[in-house]
Amino acid sequence: MNTHVKPGIWRRTGNARTAFLYLLPSVILFSVFVFYPMFRTIYLSFFLTNQNGEAALHVGFENFAYLLESSAFLNSMKATVLFVLYTVPIGIIIALFFALLANEKLKGIGFFRTVYSSTMGISVAASSVIWLFLFHPSVGVFNRVLSVLNFPQIQWLLDPEWALISVSISTIWMNTGFSFLILLGGLQNIDEHLYESSRIDGAGYFYRLRRITIPMLSPTLFFIITISLINAFQSFGQIDILTKGGPSQSTNLIVYSIYREAFINYQFGTASAQAVILFIIILIVTILQFKFGERKVHYQ
Amino acid sequence: MMSIKMKSGVLKRMRNLLKSSLFWILILSLAVLTACTNSDSNTNDEKSNEDKPGTDETAGKVSIEFWHAMSGTGQESLDAIVEGFNESQDKYEVKAEFQGTYEESLTKLRSVGGTKDAPAITQVFEVGTKYMIDSGYIEPVQSFIDKDNFDLSTLEQNILNYYKVDGELYSMPFNSSTPVMIYNKTAFEKAGLDPEKAPETFSEVIATAEKLKTDDMFGFSMLTYGWFFEQLVATQGGLYVNEDNGRSGDATEALFNGPEGLNVFNFLDTMNKAGTFGNFGTNWDDIRAAFASQKVAMYMDSSAGVAGAIANAPFDVGVAYIPYADEVQRNGVVIGGASLWMSKGIAENEQEAAWEFMKYMTTPEVQAKWHLDTGYFAINPKAYDEENVKEKWAEFPQFKVTVEQLQDTVPGIATQGALISVFPESRQQIVTALEDLYQGADPQEVLDQAAEGTNRAMEIANKTKK
Amino acid sequence: MTISLPKKIWIYFLLTVTSLLVFFPVLYAFMISFMTGPEILQGKFFPQSFSLDNYFKVFDRLPLVKYLVNSFVVSVGVMFGQLLVCSLAAYAFVFMPFKGRDFIFFVFISTMMIPWEATMIPNFFTIQKLDWLNTYQGLTIPFFALAFGTFLLRQHFKTIPKELHEASQIAGLSRFAFFWRVILPVSKTSLVTLGAYGFLTTWNMYLWPLLITTNSSVRTVQIGLKQLQSQEMSTDWGVVMAGVIVVIIPTLLLLFLGQKQLQKGLSQGALK
Repeated sequence: MNTHVKPGIWRRTGNARTAFLYLLPSVILFSVFVFYPMFRTIYLSFFLTNQNGEAALHVGFENFAYLLESSAFLNSMKATVLFVLYTVPIGIIIALFFALLANEKLKGIGFFRTVYSSTMGISVAASSVIWLFLFHPSVGVFNRVLSVLNFPQIQWLLDPEWALISVSISTIWMNTGFSFLILLGGLQNIDEHLYESSRIDGAGYFYRLRRITIPMLSPTLFFIITISLINAFQSFGQIDILTKGGPSQSTNLIVYSIYREAFINYQFGTASAQAVILFIIILIVTILQFKFGERKVHYQ
Repeated sequence: MMSIKMKSGVLKRMRNLLKSSLFWILILSLAVLTACTNSDSNTNDEKSNEDKPGTDETAGKVSIEFWHAMSGTGQESLDAIVEGFNESQDKYEVKAEFQGTYEESLTKLRSVGGTKDAPAITQVFEVGTKYMIDSGYIEPVQSFIDKDNFDLSTLEQNILNYYKVDGELYSMPFNSSTPVMIYNKTAFEKAGLDPEKAPETFSEVIATAEKLKTDDMFGFSMLTYGWFFEQLVATQGGLYVNEDNGRSGDATEALFNGPEGLNVFNFLDTMNKAGTFGNFGTNWDDIRAAFASQKVAMYMDSSAGVAGAIANAPFDVGVAYIPYADEVQRNGVVIGGASLWMSKGIAENEQEAAWEFMKYMTTPEVQAKWHLDTGYFAINPKAYDEENVKEKWAEFPQFKVTVEQLQDTVPGIATQGALISVFPESRQQIVTALEDLYQGADPQEVLDQAAEGTNRAMEIANKTKK
Repeated sequence: MTISLPKKIWIYFLLTVTSLLVFFPVLYAFMISFMTGPEILQGKFFPQSFSLDNYFKVFDRLPLVKYLVNSFVVSVGVMFGQLLVCSLAAYAFVFMPFKGRDFIFFVFISTMMIPWEATMIPNFFTIQKLDWLNTYQGLTIPFFALAFGTFLLRQHFKTIPKELHEASQIAGLSRFAFFWRVILPVSKTSLVTLGAYGFLTTWNMYLWPLLITTNSSVRTVQIGLKQLQSQEMSTDWGVVMAGVIVVIIPTLLLLFLGQKQLQKGLSQGALK
């Protein structure tokens, strides 16, 4: 373009300076409310803290060494990984399924869209209370249905084999609404013409899904996968209300374990060390995701 | 590539389009801003009143904050009591503010303790006693008791025993409860058992549970909660930690994995293996629902849950003492619940207000109301002579059992209860141990693990203590 | 284009069944909210009568209207704060190439990975030092900067054709004017999404509002929900469920009313 003038040095730094102004609010807020506490957390992770939460005894890497040896913490890591594996893929597939259904142009589709997105409007606290009831060992609906159908009853939240699955089910439900809305938005952005031309070629539904929908949806999918992963690693409310980390620590996800160490046991040292480890894990996962995921993303 | 003409066309259209939405965004943000500033100033006004109590000039009253962790029915009753206090005199005003669970409330207190944001009175659960004494944030109520010549003998001695440390009372007991065993009388009859005679020892409970077990109903259950384990150890005279249960010095070693603790775990393990024990988890409401819907015939509950159990059950409900090991004498129960703490470093008239309120809380009338509303004990036994309490007792004799069990308790180090600062953490260790036990783990092994965890927590606490 | 009848029936069938499954928990809570204690324990699905007793009790026990208003103020405040702060940042990331931009963006994104629970207690001390306990500032301002929002808007801004930027420079628009009068309007879709997200997540916050409020002057509804449940005494589940229904109705209503707008916003999508 002719109007494009070769930028001088003043102009170039000008960009940086203006950019800084635009970034300033975020930078200040992040520094005060995220980075400062994070550094404090890292600092505390090398200490044992006293009953008032102050650093009292420098112990170097002892907190980390203790955690990596402790079977409870390893179990917590395992539970967290399992929880992420249970909730993220299934949650996104279900949301995608709903979004595909709700993307059909039919009468009354608005109603169904509202229903699918409804769980986004229900807080974790409220939905966990509801699910607590659904899972109830003696009066819960699930066990009632099982007994009517003559199946053996399941101790949803009390059996260590089942508890994590039960919590995952309720988590998937809670997250469906949000993923659904994002995916539906993505679907509606896909150019109709792409489908029309493929229809002329006589391509079937699943062929179109594979060859047009998924590739065109990939930026949205990438986005929702990133968000879901991070959210799953940080799930807390449902654990607190449904299981409190039990039975036999089977649902003691890292974030809950951090909360417990910090809020109930008041051991900021070990809580901080756990937080640092969790941060590193999420960091690695996200880097991997960006590295391998973004390659497959198809930008329009 | 678009031509320049087209681009400016796009721009123009956009500008027009925008004007309307921009306008709305502006209006909205303005509205929000004004709303915020307005409400901020409101809150600041309210705040300054609360921050500097005693300066409530319009009424000339000393106003103090009272932090509590009572939700549901407890909050309802407590609010009514506080209102009663505010109306009973015109010098002081108490503001009762809910602060979340005991843990959440204590976390907050730890953070604001000693600052101007600290309340005059805080309700802290019994296992926080040791922490509160060590914290340095509090004024022992003993100083006001001495100053005011308050007669402590009017209060329930078995409750005072728990909160007295080295003969001094640090906090005013408030909501107090003990464990009881609740059972389904109708089920007893059906199984051919005497509904008026509940099993008393571990082996009797095991045998009775066996008889009560049907396809739909378990014989016995206990909430997976450390408190019940502590009680079953204490009633055998067993100690929880060394240093006389932490009362003669900072405890350094857990003792609950000794023979008394093992008795309890074996007791539960026997029934669990025999299939007569029902596991209903860690949630108070779940186990009660199981009892009310006849999924379990006997279970351990708090005395504060008796009223609810009777009201919700479509059958006759019996209440009995908690069981004890066959080879020992019954010692009784340890008090549970919470007490009221006064802050140090606040204005003198605020402390006086707090003291007046605490005294008001111990009156028989207030305690009678509290006992009837919530099922917690009256810390002032005279409350039991009040007409309304007598009426209720006549109707539900089960209530009396809970009080008798407390009054029958043999005073001693075991039943005085353990004093350790890391109690909440230790209770979690017990919960995990119980859960592992129900999954078939070895009783001694899981107990030892819990003891080890508790030891480490105590070690850290002692190491970092100032 | 038309859909064949059998296919239509099949789709409607799937829609109905899955909607029922998704909505069942809410429906169940709604039913329980009318039940008395013993009814609930008998595990019924339909209440004997639709009496509003539990609802009266909820409003009687808590200053629920006040809580609702507080929740609303806080959620709207966070929503606008986030929109402003995040769009400014995203704008800088997309339209202002400068050295180290990718690095700073990555630092921003990394904040998403820091578990909030871990930062909560230091943040509490900060708020206390600022004297922001029991204020709306304390409830809102810490949440204004949001990596997720910046990420979302950046993804969207990237799809805006560079030509538009050039055209604006020719038309003599200043940087800020371009941002305010061109970028924001064409990004309405993402702004609506982010706004909805910000509103709902703030509405649903629990632990933070509980920590930094010590009285009911600025408390939000989620705390109210907690107050309805007893710890040691038995909980009146009918009342709790009535509380749940009252708490979720405003957000459901908002979703319902905003559905069209949200949908429209989302479908306008990126410039083609």
